[in-house]
Amino acid sequence: MTSSPLVLEHVTKRFGGLVAVENVNVEIEPGKITGLIGPNGAGKTTIFGVISGRFAPTAGRIVALGHDITGWSPHAICRLGLCVTHQIVRPFPDLTVLENVMVGAAFGGGARVAAHDARREAIAVLEFAGLAVRADQAASALTLAQRKRLEIARALATRPSVLLLDEVLAGLTPSEVVQAVTLVREICARGITIVMIEHVMHAVMNLSHRVLVLNYGRLIADGTPADVTGNREVIAAYLGTGPQEAHLWPAPQAQDAAGGPAQTGEETLHD
Amino acid sequence: MTRLRPAAAAAPALGVALAFVPLVAPHNITVLNLGFFTFLYVAQGLAWNILGGFAGYVSFGYAAFFGLGAYTTALLWLHGWTPVLTFPLAGLCAAAFSLVVGVPTLRLIGPYFSIATIGVGEAMRILMLNLDNITGGASGLNLPTTVPSKGWFYIASLVLAAIAYATASWVRTSRLGLGLAALRMDLDAAETLGVRTALFKNVAHVISAFLVGVCGGLFAMYFQYLHPDNVFSFTESISLVLIALIGGLGTIWGPILGAAVFFAVQDYLQTSYPTFHLLVYGVLLIVILLFEPRGLAGLAARLAGRRRAPAPVALAPPAPGTVAPPSTPGGGS
Repeated sequence: MTSSPLVLEHVTKRFGGLVAVENVNVEIEPGKITGLIGPNGAGKTTIFGVISGRFAPTAGRIVALGHDITGWSPHAICRLGLCVTHQIVRPFPDLTVLENVMVGAAFGGGARVAAHDARREAIAVLEFAGLAVRADQAASALTLAQRKRLEIARALATRPSVLLLDEVLAGLTPSEVVQAVTLVREICARGITIVMIEHVMHAVMNLSHRVLVLNYGRLIADGTPADVTGNREVIAAYLGTGPQEAHLWPAPQAQDAAGGPAQTGEETLHD
Repeated sequence: MTRLRPAAAAAPALGVALAFVPLVAPHNITVLNLGFFTFLYVAQGLAWNILGGFAGYVSFGYAAFFGLGAYTTALLWLHGWTPVLTFPLAGLCAAAFSLVVGVPTLRLIGPYFSIATIGVGEAMRILMLNLDNITGGASGLNLPTTVPSKGWFYIASLVLAAIAYATASWVRTSRLGLGLAALRMDLDAAETLGVRTALFKNVAHVISAFLVGVCGGLFAMYFQYLHPDNVFSFTESISLVLIALIGGLGTIWGPILGAAVFFAVQDYLQTSYPTFHLLVYGVLLIVILLFEPRGLAGLAARLAGRRRAPAPVALAPPAPGTVAPPSTPGGGS
């Protein structure tokens, strides 16, 4: 239990009468990529909001990196080493790409970083994220794919142990998805635990070591990508229960769904 | 943040040059007075800009800090203190009050914060008017008349402006400035990247209130008479907003240019047309908001950029057209 960098215990979040997240219990495995999927409105982004401190949970407890972070403010959670990216990218438009990343480097986890050290760190992160050539451009001049990359770079600059990625592949072209998938793999290879919300199914199934499925705020499936794709409840959540069995995505060959080459394309279930 | 490099050297040079004016024209009271007020408002404009420009929290309540600083100096002076020694206390008093105001009001966003500060400013004015025992109330407070020369005040005010300039420049390039810029553009995103937004806003508020409080102290010493309607006036608050807006919100040069224009216009017009300058400010403000939201400093940067080289697009203020198609509401023909 203590080895898990992120544990949700009976987490519930209500907005008035709407139960957005209901009694979710999860232990995230360290150093792995965990996919979080589910139909629109399932409560995925709300869970990220609750973990990152944007909303306090109505009930339950969140333990991250050995601390009970329930009710902490977002900046404190970030400085502890848990950073979240935004589904709708939110670069600081008047700052350059480098300055955007400097914000993460200057205020993120660990020791206090002075502005000039932050600059050095930010340059290193930009090189890793493949944005170094854009360093001096205004963030508002970037394309969507570059902005998503900037969102990741900025979060990465905060030196996180756990990174929550909210739909970083949405809206990208197939070739951009391939590049972004590579970036996510490289981040994981650095030992950073990743939880990602994603709708691009082939990407998330290929990337994830484990997939969580959320529907109406409840966790309905939890397992390897192969387990989850065969789960009747998951199929029903996506397609509804019909007279005949429907297959969402090509049925995985026994247990090696995670091994295949990253097929990318238009198989986004939702938009 | 490496814009306006030559300007960084120009400001100290300008300050040193202006310091010679009392030597050249020690008896030109008009020039010395104009200099005193211009520098006093350069300092306050720069200070106001730390919160209003860098952090984007437009306050209409700075008269409260100016007035508190003025009364702190005045009351201590009447109790036998040397006025100059009271300035740090004037600043501290204003800074302490800025925390009282800022901790609750800086939680408000945008216009709500601005409106709250109007309330705070007016409440302070009326409170001070009614505290007859302390402030002299409606009859005001007469202060000692033994004061240094106009040249001394000119230099003191210039020194204050230089301190404010150094502070604003430091804030802008520091970690604090980076955090303020981030929270100005996107409060939530800044929070999730670890910026302690509530703390940073209050630090910016305290720094600027301190400087404005010291300016109030110097003003009390200069004017030798204080009245709540004068130092706590809404006009005082508005002046700072106007100076920063005309000069250029969030820039270092903005308040300097803004204050210079503000007092030049006022000085030129006030004798013959006592209220005409208000019309000029209004027109100036509209023109600036319409055509160059970064004010005179933005205009200067634009002209300098055009002269130097084909300016890189990235340096220009975010041109809405280049980012996303302007979302014109349907129905417009």
